[in-house]
Amino acid sequence: MAVKTDSFTAPTKRRLATFWQPYTRVAMLSWLTGALVAAILEQLVGRPLAFMLGLGKVPVLFGLVIILKAPLLIPGVIVYVLLIYILPIGLIARLTTKLGNKLAAELLRYPMLVSTVVHLVLLYATLQIWGNINDYRNLVLRLTLISVLITLSLNVINGYMGEFSCSHPGFLALGAYGASAVTVSLFVNDNLFGPAVFTGNWGWIIFPFSLILGGIIAAIGSLVVAIPSFRTRGDYLAIISLAFTFIIKSFIENLEFVGGPRGLSSQPDWANLPTVFIWVVVGVWVINNFVRSTMGKALNAVRDDEIAADAMTVNTRRTKMVAFMFSAFWAGVGGGLFAHVLRYVNPSTFGIQKLAEVLAMVYFGGLNSVYGSIVGAVGFNLLSEALRPLEIFKWIIIPVLLILIMIFRPTGLVAFKEFDVHQIIAPKE
Amino acid sequence: MTLLHVQNMTHYFGGLRAVYNYNLSIEPGEIRGLIGPNGAGKSTIFNLLTGVHTPTEGEATLNGVSLIGKSPHEIAAMGIGRTFQNLRLWRHMSVLEHINMASYAHITYGLVGAFFGTALRQKQEAEIEEKSYHLLQLVGADKFADQNVTNLPYGILRRIEMARALATNPKILFLDEPTAGMNPEELKEMMAIIRHVHSELGVAIFLIEHRMKFVMELCDRVQTLVFGEVIAEGTPDEIQNNPLVIEAYLGKDLDT
Amino acid sequence: MDSFFQNIVNALQWGSFYALIALGYSMVYGILMLFNFAHGDIFMVGAYLGFFVAAGLLSLATMGILAIPNWLVLLLTVLIAMALNSIVGVLVERIGYRPLRDAPRASAAITGLMIGIILETGNLAILGAQRLSFPSLIETQTYTIGGVAVTNKKIMIVAVALFLMLVLHLFITRTKWGMAMRAMAYDFAIIPLMGVPINRIAALTFGLGSALAAAAGVLYGVAYPILDPYMGILIGWKAFVAAILGGRGSILGAAFAGFLLGFIEIFTATIFPSTFRDLIAYSIILVILTFRPHGLFGEAYSARLRL
Repeated sequence: MAVKTDSFTAPTKRRLATFWQPYTRVAMLSWLTGALVAAILEQLVGRPLAFMLGLGKVPVLFGLVIILKAPLLIPGVIVYVLLIYILPIGLIARLTTKLGNKLAAELLRYPMLVSTVVHLVLLYATLQIWGNINDYRNLVLRLTLISVLITLSLNVINGYMGEFSCSHPGFLALGAYGASAVTVSLFVNDNLFGPAVFTGNWGWIIFPFSLILGGIIAAIGSLVVAIPSFRTRGDYLAIISLAFTFIIKSFIENLEFVGGPRGLSSQPDWANLPTVFIWVVVGVWVINNFVRSTMGKALNAVRDDEIAADAMTVNTRRTKMVAFMFSAFWAGVGGGLFAHVLRYVNPSTFGIQKLAEVLAMVYFGGLNSVYGSIVGAVGFNLLSEALRPLEIFKWIIIPVLLILIMIFRPTGLVAFKEFDVHQIIAPKE
Repeated sequence: MTLLHVQNMTHYFGGLRAVYNYNLSIEPGEIRGLIGPNGAGKSTIFNLLTGVHTPTEGEATLNGVSLIGKSPHEIAAMGIGRTFQNLRLWRHMSVLEHINMASYAHITYGLVGAFFGTALRQKQEAEIEEKSYHLLQLVGADKFADQNVTNLPYGILRRIEMARALATNPKILFLDEPTAGMNPEELKEMMAIIRHVHSELGVAIFLIEHRMKFVMELCDRVQTLVFGEVIAEGTPDEIQNNPLVIEAYLGKDLDT
Repeated sequence: MDSFFQNIVNALQWGSFYALIALGYSMVYGILMLFNFAHGDIFMVGAYLGFFVAAGLLSLATMGILAIPNWLVLLLTVLIAMALNSIVGVLVERIGYRPLRDAPRASAAITGLMIGIILETGNLAILGAQRLSFPSLIETQTYTIGGVAVTNKKIMIVAVALFLMLVLHLFITRTKWGMAMRAMAYDFAIIPLMGVPINRIAALTFGLGSALAAAAGVLYGVAYPILDPYMGILIGWKAFVAAILGGRGSILGAAFAGFLLGFIEIFTATIFPSTFRDLIAYSIILVILTFRPHGLFGEAYSARLRL
């Protein structure tokens, strides 16, 4: 039996490898150009094509949502995805292989920042055009981007430092409420804070400030968990962090001036795609910088052997405190963005369900890995949207999937992989 | 001037007396050995001097600065590098990252550098890496630099631990049974490496060993510890012929 | 003063629920060194099983097959629900935890959380969103003792809880299986070498814990007859906290801390507005754990999650 499967899969694998071989030489620049072209193509001909294929409207998330809602449309969806995404991207990747590599090499002759910015601009343009199709896609896109930041920030503690922290919903709540309190009280006429203080167009300066404030509040709150972590780790810290999440939730429920259990709403609509994109890129960049420095690697040393780390001059207390505050800061920023995307939060948003969600993203994607956090957050969000038509059965399928991952790949899909920007943007031949 | 000076150090674990009235003085560049049967308290002395435990009584100074009450990372930064009896490596890190990590105390780029990748950070990280490579060359493990430590043979791991301890820029190196679990071939190599490191860096060495031959060949002076007390101290020859030491090792072949 | 004693009665009742559930957490931790985060939902399943057993037994009477007196219905409900729920517990262990026995502990924790969500959602999917009302099996009678009103239900709940804890204690200290459990809690690695069947002990532990949770579920249904799929979350987490507070793996500690938590909650609610109840209860726990990391009865050791 085993021999049979081998003889079946081996040629298939070989054929796949031969097919994929030319694509391994495609530079990121070409891939992004392909994606941009696909997005523009969809903008131009997506609607008529979808109509011709009998899909009614443009499939929002690669047809994932349609698959379960109307299985009869699956062939149409496949054709659509093939024509709009796969073929154009594949074609452009192949056609521009030489040019892309040459350009990428050319760009790297300037400081790396130049090339990085060019890639980011391409990525942003793609997302912007792709997200332009409708509000739902735009919303999912923004929430997914924020999830990447939140997942990565939790990965700092649970992956890089190896503590099992359950405090993230608490940090998110602190950031969400901290940022919202500023923007709602200053800029919105509402029942809680009264009339707006400012009426002018100050959002562009106040919003970053309020997000940072939310992050700082979360970072200060994280000391409640960080200080006990000096003495003990493992289960006991997990419980403390869990208690912290409950305390924050309960505390906000009792805080009448931010709406108590009814929640806080009518945040100004400032978290648009460019804003979210910039914050997430900056967050990922800073976190990646940190975890790749020797100071950041100290987190790994503390995780793998704390006594050895201490004996090798690593200040373990400082390391732990920095890790918690740093992680909480970005979680707070993510929470603030989240609140301004949904424009409504209440304390029960930040409970056990949220905890299960963020843990799922981290452990699904992979510990100790930026790639993992991206894969985890994007995968989880897409899956979550795709399964939406199943209603409550979604919350059976997602847990089952996660259990299977835990059984077969306990550290997640792409764990322990360095995110090297230079390697990504470099020419591939 | 004495480099490491310990006076009347005593330590109790609960009611158990682990170390009693221990005295030591090591000169710069000296190689000193500490022998004794299992459970004599040798590793405890290392742990007391490196800040893992705080001695119940007594004083210890490095270059005249007290070590008592300081945390392990402070003591390490002051100039005591150490290895561990049972290897303590970081299982998800590469060999080079191990050595880099021990330069932690010398980093001055701070959090700003760590977060934003400043020019100072690039410069310092490059310097650290260069130093790490040099140390790996010194112990003959540079060809493993990019490998993960979980895949390497035991003898190599011992050398990596030594290079890591050297990266803290120690004035004195504590080696806790550097040849434990090694075959005769590896043992010979280890002895050569210790000699090489000693002559290259001029660092003082304080080592715990079970293998008499190893200690006798390497050390300038040797202490024998039994039940937490020093029963004999002197040159290798004196120790080897000391009736008290022979009695403590009774039944044991001195050459194993 | 009257309200003081009144509160003691209430605290004992809530303490009974917490203690019965906390015992399940603690036993599993003691033996397998993992937290069964699905335990709160196993309690919920127990309450639902109790509901169906009770409804079934009562319908025997309405169909004219067999009229069973209500007290006997209650007794049978408790026993049958315990038996059925222990099967659920064993299944959870077999499917969710056994494959992960050698995996990192964090993985097992996540699996537990996920099994909990599956149980909640599964319930919702099968029974729909309507809340079920637990049949009233005993008439509420109020006795006034020295100005303190005590209902027969409260007395029964506390008595049954204490009785079950006594039975558990006897089982663990007096039987061969109980001894094997204690041995395994003492040293997980060596015991399989001594010929103790590790998988059977694990299953037994989960079964016992789930049976106690089912008892708590039925008793809870008697006191607060509205059942919904998410009823296990809050009470489960609190019982979990009680298990930690008592000291991980300490059976006596779990029982004691369950009652302690009941007292903390009820008495903070008398001093502060009732919305502060959770906030203060958790804050007290956080403070206690910060200064006594191993719980009230736990032994000092530091376990760490492996990666």
